[in-house]
Amino acid sequence: MDEWKPNPAVKPHKKRSWYLAWKYKLMNQRALRKLCQTGAVLFLLVTVIVNIKLILDTRRAAYEEEEESAQDYDDEMLNVEVPRHPVNNKKVLDVEVYSSRSKVYVAVDGTTVLEDEAREQGRGIHVIVLNQATGHVMAKRVFDTYSPHEDEAMVLFLNMVARGRILIFTIKDEGSFHLKETAKNVLKSLGSQVAPFLSWRDMWTFVGKKGGEVYGEKHAKSPALSTWGDPVLLKTEVHLTSVEDAECHWPDTELNRRRKRFCSKVEGYGSVCSCKDPTPIEFNPDPLKDNKVFDVPVAVIAGNRPNYLYRMLRSLLSAQGVNPQMITVFIDGYYEEPMDVVELFGLSGIQHTPISIKNARVSQDYKASLTATFNLFPEAKFAVVLEEDLDISVDFFSFLSQSIHLLEEDESLYCISAWNDQGYEHTAEDPSLLYRVETMPGLGWVLRKSLYKDELEPKWPTPEKLWDWDMWMRMPEQRKGRECIIPDISRSYHFGIVGLNMNGYFHEAYFKKHKFNTVPNVQLKNVESLRKDNYETEIHRLLGEAEVLDHSKNPCEDSFVPDTEGRVYVMFIRMDQEADFTTWTQLAKCLHIWDLDVRGNHKGLWRLFRKKNHFLVVGVPASPYSSKKPSSVTPIYMEPPAKEEGAVAVPAVAAAEQT
Amino acid sequence: MQKINRNVVLALLSLTSLVFLLFQLCYYKFYLSQKNGAAFSKARGSQSGQDSTRWHVVRKFLGLISSHNIPVYLIDPLILGLVDKDIEQIRSSPDGPSPECKYFCAPRDFTTFALLDKTWKHEVGLFRTAEKMGFQWLKIINRDPRLDGMDDLSGMEIPLHYIFKLASHAIHLVVFYERSGNFLWHGPLRLKQHMDRKFVPFRKLHFGRYPGAYEKPELLLVSIDDLKVQIPKNPSSFLEEMSHSRFLECRYREARAFFQLYPDDASLDAVEFRKKAKSLLHLAALTLNNLGVKFWLSSGTCLGWYRQCNVIPHSKDVDLGIFIRDYKADIIPAFQKAGLPLKHKFGKVEDSLELSFQGQDDVKLDIFFFYEEDDHIWNGGTQAKSGKKFKYLFPKFTLCWTEFVELKVHVPCETLQYVEANYGPEWKVPVKVWDWKSSPSNVQDNGVWPVDEWDDVIQIY
Repeated sequence: MDEWKPNPAVKPHKKRSWYLAWKYKLMNQRALRKLCQTGAVLFLLVTVIVNIKLILDTRRAAYEEEEESAQDYDDEMLNVEVPRHPVNNKKVLDVEVYSSRSKVYVAVDGTTVLEDEAREQGRGIHVIVLNQATGHVMAKRVFDTYSPHEDEAMVLFLNMVARGRILIFTIKDEGSFHLKETAKNVLKSLGSQVAPFLSWRDMWTFVGKKGGEVYGEKHAKSPALSTWGDPVLLKTEVHLTSVEDAECHWPDTELNRRRKRFCSKVEGYGSVCSCKDPTPIEFNPDPLKDNKVFDVPVAVIAGNRPNYLYRMLRSLLSAQGVNPQMITVFIDGYYEEPMDVVELFGLSGIQHTPISIKNARVSQDYKASLTATFNLFPEAKFAVVLEEDLDISVDFFSFLSQSIHLLEEDESLYCISAWNDQGYEHTAEDPSLLYRVETMPGLGWVLRKSLYKDELEPKWPTPEKLWDWDMWMRMPEQRKGRECIIPDISRSYHFGIVGLNMNGYFHEAYFKKHKFNTVPNVQLKNVESLRKDNYETEIHRLLGEAEVLDHSKNPCEDSFVPDTEGRVYVMFIRMDQEADFTTWTQLAKCLHIWDLDVRGNHKGLWRLFRKKNHFLVVGVPASPYSSKKPSSVTPIYMEPPAKEEGAVAVPAVAAAEQT
Repeated sequence: MQKINRNVVLALLSLTSLVFLLFQLCYYKFYLSQKNGAAFSKARGSQSGQDSTRWHVVRKFLGLISSHNIPVYLIDPLILGLVDKDIEQIRSSPDGPSPECKYFCAPRDFTTFALLDKTWKHEVGLFRTAEKMGFQWLKIINRDPRLDGMDDLSGMEIPLHYIFKLASHAIHLVVFYERSGNFLWHGPLRLKQHMDRKFVPFRKLHFGRYPGAYEKPELLLVSIDDLKVQIPKNPSSFLEEMSHSRFLECRYREARAFFQLYPDDASLDAVEFRKKAKSLLHLAALTLNNLGVKFWLSSGTCLGWYRQCNVIPHSKDVDLGIFIRDYKADIIPAFQKAGLPLKHKFGKVEDSLELSFQGQDDVKLDIFFFYEEDDHIWNGGTQAKSGKKFKYLFPKFTLCWTEFVELKVHVPCETLQYVEANYGPEWKVPVKVWDWKSSPSNVQDNGVWPVDEWDDVIQIY
């Protein structure tokens, strides 16, 4: 039955027959058939080719895209970000603090953040401030509270630390001798139970939060005057808070972002990080009219004294006519904190790998900084050179703007300096007065590019020479008889106490009483008279008008100069030849001005003020101005005292090294 | 049966391949259009004149930067090319409204602007405003090359390029820096690891493949397509300059390594010679630039630049190269006028020309003229007493800018080949004794001048 069913494949059959018929037809046209076959083969070929092309194109496009980022446009350097602090994202910090006679250390989460076992160094109370949210070290200080006044500095510092910060204290050797009641009370207010009773050669460690809990304290009493307390090791845990709690909520501006970045990293800068009413970090001083030094680059040479740098930059950025874009801070070494300060003020900073030691290192840093300055500002004809331990007068740029054309036009000039070596409180009077001097004072000065590029840079002392750059610049081979212009009242103030060649005594004796101009917009007097020939006319005029003082009196006595004001007086001292400064040095000593070497002279003439009178000192017969001496006057001669061994030599060496 | 099969198979195959082919063509077209999607869509946009995305993006960008007082100028080569054709008209009507959008509506992925670094403060505010306006931006920073020559200084990285992207159009902002030698420099565009490589098709940028050196352009404020922009006063010369602006940085790191091996001569003589050589080079550059003659550092001076980034103190002369096609008869009088008398002249313009001028205090300026052949370049030498000719062969080279002793000068881009051809593979080792007739590794004897020509081809003063 099934076979009888009509075949469902009728259609195919039909088709087949149609196909057969078609084929048959074609068979008859062999040529046409051949053509079709060839056509089909060709078609296949084309498909294959298009296929291959497609694959190739896609491949190449993909490759190109890859290559585009991979080759030409790739930075060859791999910048692998190394996490700077391993303590991120942890809630609890393990803190270890060790105090002993010869060694202290502090470890946070196993990382040593302080270790001091050097002999004869680091005596006193070491303080470390940690960020309560991140555990980063924000400040490290040591206060030698064995010595006087250091406890005051510590109190000052602790008061500046923001509430909530973690404070770590440890004593090395001795820290109680000059730890006064005030300081002890401050420590007590931080939660220390032992601090009020700290005594001679006790060992002590303490960890606490400012204005909050105490994490631990350990103390070892010294059993006898001649011995130290046993070493103590404090191990404790500190709980971190959230980042929001650790930060202030300043309005979100660009300035405050910089501030925030700064304040979350470092401590000890006082009100700049205060949550309520922080001090400004942008100053916008009045612009100067017709500012000739607006485009002059300013190089600030800095070391690792970030607090100094902070103070210096504040005064610099507050000076009228400052152009922050032209300021570059050169930091000698890879120190983070000075760089943080630079960034806080939105300035650009450059770090310099130290390649030499001590003085030579400073000298190489100077060279690199000067070269870099002229590279960065190729159009500049001058550069202002400043150091990190200077206050800058409010009219610093105004002073330069009024005088800089002299440096450009008068070939006999070596520099313009903001510093008068002899400008002390009692010897400087007139902010509008300028001098020409044969010495180069430094401490805020202007350098001519051509002088640097053509003369100084190629000959700059090499690192192994161990020379001081400023002493080298003062050498006659370099200076070639050229002079510097200086103001009577300095436009910079040297506040550095801790430095390579500095110590407290030295600073007190030679720098503290220096006069510093605080008057804005001083109009300089008769700037044209500072040109080489004009200046001689001016000096002759002055000498002509000057009253000769009574040479029978002792020039050291106050009564040597009459009690007048605004007069011009002249005295003559003995100066046998150009380099004979015997009497001058003695005079400088008794006048309490710079006496460690000769500064501020111009052809055997010194100009200063005494009792508000202009006071001229002429060296006879070496000075060409000797002719002004009345024949009746015998130049004063002052005998140097018999040399004391050592006592004099020490500051003299220091002085020779320091500007 | 077999025959039928073959035909069937063939027919079927043809059919499928036809289908495939169609499919693939479609796909290919789709792929292409995806790749150039932006371009395609904008091609459509440009039909409707000023509605073009590009014009809007440029206008927004100009608004952004003018609100921050940042002076930028247009350096887009394609637009400047168009502008140059109509420069007279644009100059004469700086404020006239333009009837149609001719320049900023052409479909492109980028518009390129330049910014002089010293004219703006690197303020963050700009980018925040840009973000608010809808721009995505990318900053490309890198080391400051002006500090690279210095021992171990590490400054902050400086921004070299910015890219602002909005919709399908991007603004490429190239930052130009002033360099010693009174010229402008822009850096190469190199992406750091973490950067978005797909941010824009970086390959298509007109600037950034190489660093470039430019003269400071004079600018002109014009209004094109109703947009006020600054453009170089002379677009065609800017474009000309752009075509060979490639800049080579001196190899400071290698130079430092060289000085570690062979400490620098710091004697007074060396200092003096360097000073003289520098001022002679400055004078020569001034003279030749005034004549419009292209020159490059050659021989010892080139070696000094390449090996130690400085004048070689014992080289005793300054060597320059000039293509003979750039020779001008005024060269000799111009140098004489500049105070450099001709010392000798060897060869003639057609063959082996070489000029020597006497600088101050015994420093000599040698100018060698280079002759181009199909596969090499050569210059000639002549021995005065024998009339012997020499030929120094160099592989072909092109010229790049560099900075040398506070001067923007040309050097062969393929400096290594050039130096190696001249000084052999041992060029890194300083040699104090040097004979120009035998020491160079590329010297060949080139016969003798005919005696009757001597008066002409050997002139000594």
